[in-house]
Amino acid sequence: MQQYLLTILILTPVAGMLALVGHSFAPYKRETHYRWITLGFSVITFAVSLLLLQAAHTNFSSFQFEQNVSWINAISARYHLGVDGLSLWLVLLTTLLVPISILSSWTSIDKRELSFYAFMLILESAMIGVFVSLDLLIFYLFFEASLVPMFFLIGIWGGERRIYAAVKFFIYTAVGSLLMLAGIIVLYVFYQTFDYTVILGAMRSGQTISALTKGNQTLEFWLFLAFAFAFFIKVPLWPFHTWLPDAHTEAPTAGSVILAGILLKMGTYGLMRFNLTLFPSISRIMAPYIIILAIIGIIYGALVAMVQPDVKRLVAYSSVSHMGFVVLGMFSFTEWGMQGSLYQMLNHGVSTGALFLIVGMIYERRHTREISEFGGLSMSMPVFSTFFVIASLSSIGLPFLNGFIGEFLIMLGTWMTEIIRYAWIATMLAGTGVILSAVYLLWMLQRVVFGPLKNEKNARLTDLNYREIGLLIPLLILMLLMGVYPRPFLDLSRASVETVRSRVLHTESGGSYTVERLNPQGVSPNR
Amino acid sequence: MNLSLALQIQNVSPDVNLLLILPELIVCTAGVIVMMVDAFARPRQRWMTGGLALVGLVAAMAASFWMWSGWAGPREAFHGMIVLDELRLGFTFIALLVSALTVLVSMVWVEGENLPAGEFHSLLLFATSGMMLMASGGDLVIIFLGLEILSIATYVMAGFRRTDLRSNESSLKYFILGSFSSAFLLYGIALVYGATATRTGLAGTTNIAEIANRLDVSLYPPLLFAGAAMMLVGFGFKIATAPFHVWTPDVYEGAPTPVTAFMAAGPKAAGFASFLRVFVFGFPFVATVASVQGQIHAAWLGALVVLAIITMTIGNVGAIVQNNVKRMLAYSSIAHAGYALVGFVAAGATGDPVFKSEALSSVAFYMLTYAVMNLGAFAVVTLIARSGDRRTDFEDYNGIGFQSPGLAFTLSLFMLSLLGLPLTAGFMGKIMVFRAALNAGYYSLVVIAVLNTAISAYYYLRLIIVMFFRERTTSWSAPRVPASVIVVLIITVLGVFYLGLFPNRVLDAFKTRPPAVMATR
Repeated sequence: MQQYLLTILILTPVAGMLALVGHSFAPYKRETHYRWITLGFSVITFAVSLLLLQAAHTNFSSFQFEQNVSWINAISARYHLGVDGLSLWLVLLTTLLVPISILSSWTSIDKRELSFYAFMLILESAMIGVFVSLDLLIFYLFFEASLVPMFFLIGIWGGERRIYAAVKFFIYTAVGSLLMLAGIIVLYVFYQTFDYTVILGAMRSGQTISALTKGNQTLEFWLFLAFAFAFFIKVPLWPFHTWLPDAHTEAPTAGSVILAGILLKMGTYGLMRFNLTLFPSISRIMAPYIIILAIIGIIYGALVAMVQPDVKRLVAYSSVSHMGFVVLGMFSFTEWGMQGSLYQMLNHGVSTGALFLIVGMIYERRHTREISEFGGLSMSMPVFSTFFVIASLSSIGLPFLNGFIGEFLIMLGTWMTEIIRYAWIATMLAGTGVILSAVYLLWMLQRVVFGPLKNEKNARLTDLNYREIGLLIPLLILMLLMGVYPRPFLDLSRASVETVRSRVLHTESGGSYTVERLNPQGVSPNR
Repeated sequence: MNLSLALQIQNVSPDVNLLLILPELIVCTAGVIVMMVDAFARPRQRWMTGGLALVGLVAAMAASFWMWSGWAGPREAFHGMIVLDELRLGFTFIALLVSALTVLVSMVWVEGENLPAGEFHSLLLFATSGMMLMASGGDLVIIFLGLEILSIATYVMAGFRRTDLRSNESSLKYFILGSFSSAFLLYGIALVYGATATRTGLAGTTNIAEIANRLDVSLYPPLLFAGAAMMLVGFGFKIATAPFHVWTPDVYEGAPTPVTAFMAAGPKAAGFASFLRVFVFGFPFVATVASVQGQIHAAWLGALVVLAIITMTIGNVGAIVQNNVKRMLAYSSIAHAGYALVGFVAAGATGDPVFKSEALSSVAFYMLTYAVMNLGAFAVVTLIARSGDRRTDFEDYNGIGFQSPGLAFTLSLFMLSLLGLPLTAGFMGKIMVFRAALNAGYYSLVVIAVLNTAISAYYYLRLIIVMFFRERTTSWSAPRVPASVIVVLIITVLGVFYLGLFPNRVLDAFKTRPPAVMATR
């Protein structure tokens, strides 16, 4: 059972998809049945994913729930799954956000329900697959497989410019991941395996790429870029971000939530899992440049978000800014920074997911997202406004809400980093991103939620119904919980993050994928 | 060398082994039977011809499976004219599969179009026997014979809709350019025959294994180069590599859609089979670069690298601007020939039997995946085109995604597979080919191929976009899907997933098992 848990997790949504298709042949079917079936299966998936926490006593210092069987003999590709501290919370985030976004589509998707929910379920299983695969080929497989359903989601159920957005999204990400595929095959040519843990083991025992190419770092450099390029596009890191505003804006609400909440995390997860550990020395060399890009992204995203007339586009650009923080923390190579980076991935999923849900709710009522159309919503929709304000504050990083912990850890890590000189400048610049995020979000709130009720149409809007409140409540609880008591989250990821960190900073140490002892003098970020 | 020496000196008894050409015999016999039945059957009973053809093809498949699993006899016959190895069996299987699926696609279609069913199916079977001979020939003459049997049958099939101008144009174009290329090939064979005469007084040879032995003792090495170059052009035409691809879009567009499906998958695979055999085994890799063999090997390998790059790029770029689905698929078939050439290069670049066998099997596997997904795609295109192939433009696909969801989703699956997305056959085929090329050290070739894949995303997705993301403005009545086509779609969809997810068995079957015949000979 233990070793099949991850496979079950991947296959449950697929089973749901098959159930949907099967149900479409039933004589008594109704369009409304599909959403119930989908919700049922996604909730089951979430329940199953909670079983992962039963391994909490191991602190996820090594891979848990491993399943490792041969897949394609001819190229010794393996079906190797496992979960550790890096992926655990991302898997849970996935299984949590999918039922929520399905609930959010309850009434807003009123055409072609069968296909919509089928694509949502395929997408869920691909996303779970990305986070748990330990074989590079399988990883690529899921990474790429997640593209297709999202392409359809944007293209069929999206807004006016959906075709443009869908194609741009697909081409951008496909080009990136194809380069990664080339990189994966090159790794295979050197190690004759796609298995991540085996490759890592070989590298740790001295068989690094540069050792195999007789001390020449050129190939390793290109490999790093091949992987990084795919992930940078996915994150997206400035200047590879241009697909994001279009895709996020045109996607249906559920699509935006999944896109921002989970698909972007595939990029940062991939960077942390593969780039840092497989190419540590190049990572160290490249870190300053990547940090520069991340900081540009933080400030640029915030500045562009400030001037957006469209609420959804504003949230989309805020993603560019926030994901810049994630990359910044990761490449500081400090425990605080990297833990914060991982934590910020979850925060961003929760807060931005909530923001997209809220924007979707108002769009469903008014069929517009123009900021100038709104104003004074707090009078007509008090409950909605409350949620909106809390989600925005969490995104800004107000203390006692989740965003604060992540950003604080990242800035702390950036300040302490030794990978770049003048780290304090980087921290200061990143700090302006926090300030700017307060500017654009609070300004937006002021224009949308507060102030006088200028527009007649806003006066008669109905407030949130129980379904909408119900789907926001879990996210609200998470915002508060992660803001005041981050310890359980950070505890379970600490060992894995520390492994990555020691790998990237001290390339030669360690024999296999095990945790080195934490420095007893080291200050833990958990206070 | 000893063998042919012995042949010339002694007048040995003919080396006849009919069992070794059992599948070919079965297919030929089936073709004749179909013809006879057609002649004597009443018009109403003509549908039987399709069934008979299927029976023949399945029997041939069983025979080749038996040869694959339990053959203990000699592995060549007719003095090396026919050989038996995994390369042959792999491509024989592809030829039979393509032919059987084509029969299933065309069975109902041919009746609906009021075309002579018996003629069509017997031509198809003869074309199939030609393809099988191309895969099994160990001698240039047999390969040429097979090629001609295949080509002449295909010329007729391309023009099968006699009253349709486009079909006539397609047939004529194919015929003229095809015979031109056959002439190139034949001239090349003649030159090689002349050049392989030796100083010791032996006459020339057309046996592929023997050619390889005589390269370094050739009387006229320059003729060898010329001969090889001409054969390269001849084969290049058959498998539609750029710059010999110009006929492809017109012919594929004009020919009746089931015939296009057959032409894109079958003759291309057969062309690859004999192309591989002639060049990888006839002008093989050698470590001493300075020798004639080394020079000729370097020359054709270099030419192929260039051909592969041009072919992929022209195919993909050309496909982007097409407005007709059949033309788009024609350019895509050019591009896929380019990807398969990448594996070909890998097979040619190594002398190591293990690597060579892996690379050869990767090309065979690639052609199999291509055949499966391409036939599936063309089956759907045939249905949507209706009688007379009237609806083959992208516009005709506007918004049909949710009007005929079954067909549209299947077609999308084939498009994604042609694009090479994971979980599908196309992905696994590409992985195998690219891996072989990387093993042989062709890094930049693989990078170019990968970038080409990215280009191809544009036009494969375009069909999906047209079907699903646009709204239909004109009326649409879903085509009736005959049971035989449903069978094709089920087989191809399952095939796409099977080859994409569990390729183990097929890959093993295509690989040379020790003792390797070709390696030892």
